[in-house]
Amino acid sequence: MPPKACLPACANASPVRPDAMDFVVTTLLNALTLISILMLVGLGLAISFGLMNVTNLAHGEFVTVGAFAVYFVQSIDGSFWLGLAAAPIAGAVVGCILEFAIIRHLYSRPVSTVLATWGVSLILQQGLELTFGLGAKPVTPPIEGTLDLFFTVYPAYRLILITIAALTLLGVVLLISRTSFGLDIRTVIQNREMAEGVGINTRRTYAIAFTFGAAIAGLAGGLVAPLAIVLPQMGVNYLANAFFVVIVGGVGSIGGLVAGSVFVGGLTSVLNYQISPSLAQAIVLLAAIVAVRLRPNGLFNGASR
Amino acid sequence: MIAGDRNWLLIFAACVALATIYPLIADGYQLTVIRDALIFGLFAASLDFFWGRTGILCFGHAAFFGIGGYIMALVTLNDAIPFASLLGIMGAVAGAAVVAAIIGYFLFFGGIRGSYFTIVTLAMGVICQQAAVSWSSVTGGDSGLIGIPPIEFDVGGLHVDLSQDLPSYIFVAAIVAVAVLTLWSISRGRWGTVLTAIQDNEVRAAALGHNAPLRLLVTFVLSAAIAGLAGALYVCMAGLVAPDLSGLLLSTEVIVWVAVGGRGTLLGPVLGAIFIQRAQQTISSFNPSLWPLLLGCVFVFVVIVFILPDGILSIYARLKVLFKGRRRAQ
Repeated sequence: MPPKACLPACANASPVRPDAMDFVVTTLLNALTLISILMLVGLGLAISFGLMNVTNLAHGEFVTVGAFAVYFVQSIDGSFWLGLAAAPIAGAVVGCILEFAIIRHLYSRPVSTVLATWGVSLILQQGLELTFGLGAKPVTPPIEGTLDLFFTVYPAYRLILITIAALTLLGVVLLISRTSFGLDIRTVIQNREMAEGVGINTRRTYAIAFTFGAAIAGLAGGLVAPLAIVLPQMGVNYLANAFFVVIVGGVGSIGGLVAGSVFVGGLTSVLNYQISPSLAQAIVLLAAIVAVRLRPNGLFNGASR
Repeated sequence: MIAGDRNWLLIFAACVALATIYPLIADGYQLTVIRDALIFGLFAASLDFFWGRTGILCFGHAAFFGIGGYIMALVTLNDAIPFASLLGIMGAVAGAAVVAAIIGYFLFFGGIRGSYFTIVTLAMGVICQQAAVSWSSVTGGDSGLIGIPPIEFDVGGLHVDLSQDLPSYIFVAAIVAVAVLTLWSISRGRWGTVLTAIQDNEVRAAALGHNAPLRLLVTFVLSAAIAGLAGALYVCMAGLVAPDLSGLLLSTEVIVWVAVGGRGTLLGPVLGAIFIQRAQQTISSFNPSLWPLLLGCVFVFVVIVFILPDGILSIYARLKVLFKGRRRAQ
């Protein structure tokens, strides 16, 4: 497989691979990578922020914890896949403790939740820094090299990432629509009092849903670890973007989550080609604010207001 | 209400008196420490004016502080601009106000309140810091801009030169006092009453004919303008501006100052800023990375202690009940 750097030359050599097509497909796949990650991170946030009305500013730290779990396991054992299995478990443990210790006491006090979860986020960041030391942590992808997709050659690991993300999302959809626990969640979301009335333990359902969202965010962190710079402070960027996904997409449906991820992820990756990343971030923020102004209930649910 | 006003004014007068006699007992270095803390106190008061009166938390207030600081730095470092200090301050205030107006317009008129507002302002702070780091041709990147001259201008034949410790302290203290008094009189008057009504029930306030989004927007812009003023003052006193000034850590620190000092009191946040800054300097001298860790603990602590449903007094009441119960058991 030729390395990515010689792509233009290879593309010119073959007439069936025009430059423009190569560029479009690469951009599309880059966007798809980002969209997959945003969808996984945004899923937990859609559960806590969108459905339980809990503003969890420590959600980005679930991603960080997942990435550090992969780094930690890989540095001991050498296996990326074992680390990737540990990532959602690490996320779930942190999420479960956070829900049990703080969030469940503050359901009726939104501003207190914001402050407390931000405090937890700072504690986790500094705790990771004190434990693992300063500087970026190296995580090597399980598969080097690229895959020939006819139109372009693309790093194989990113394709695996997209596949795992898509499968996870499919699993979540099935879990919510087909299992009895999914039915519980849907009932609690629709009407909490009524759900209690028919005998559903709403506290337990909230706790499990929150932990589940944290686990998915941890998985996202594990998946993104070989591509990203693994730092204790990495979470905040995912936090901000995931909130945009939920705000823009609207809450309450997988469709909204997908729409929000495509909006934020797509716009970011397309803009990243043209301008500097922070300017791209600023434009995405402005676009998200304008989108919220025009469609307050989210892109997907805009008509149902 | 009247008694509360009188108490507030008494405390305010006591603080002003303390600030007046402080130069007599302090040396130059201590004066500059308090001066810088007072500027951050002004910044905290600006956040409190918005958060305390509207109940909406802005999580990126340092963005306005940083915008004010960078505008001031760019104006005063440019030799071609006359009256640089005055123009810089005006530019800093106007710049922060314009950014707040644009963002606030979309959010308030788009019906964004509560947590959603907090999130968007958080992202705004993140982006401001990133922009300050990456737009290095203008902002100097990570290292920022240095060599910003002290404030110097002429008003009606009076030459004001703030390169010395004592004049700069008096100037800052006077501005903080005037600003806090002004914000207080706005928030205790009709404007503040309407804001309280909007906070309690926006639909009813709107039904009574108040333009709620406009009121919130104007309050937000005023709050941002004062944050910009504080930023402009700070960079002139410190002589440098860096991306940290618009960063998320400062945004969260100012929230702690307000929460610890007492939300909605305007004076409390100024005192909170001064005392916590003092604590921060002491702790950071042991270990610089310990401060954010402690800040996180303070956040959790603040929520559990200071924002209990019935306030700090409820702890006392609860303890009393606890001890009484034990005594009876014996």
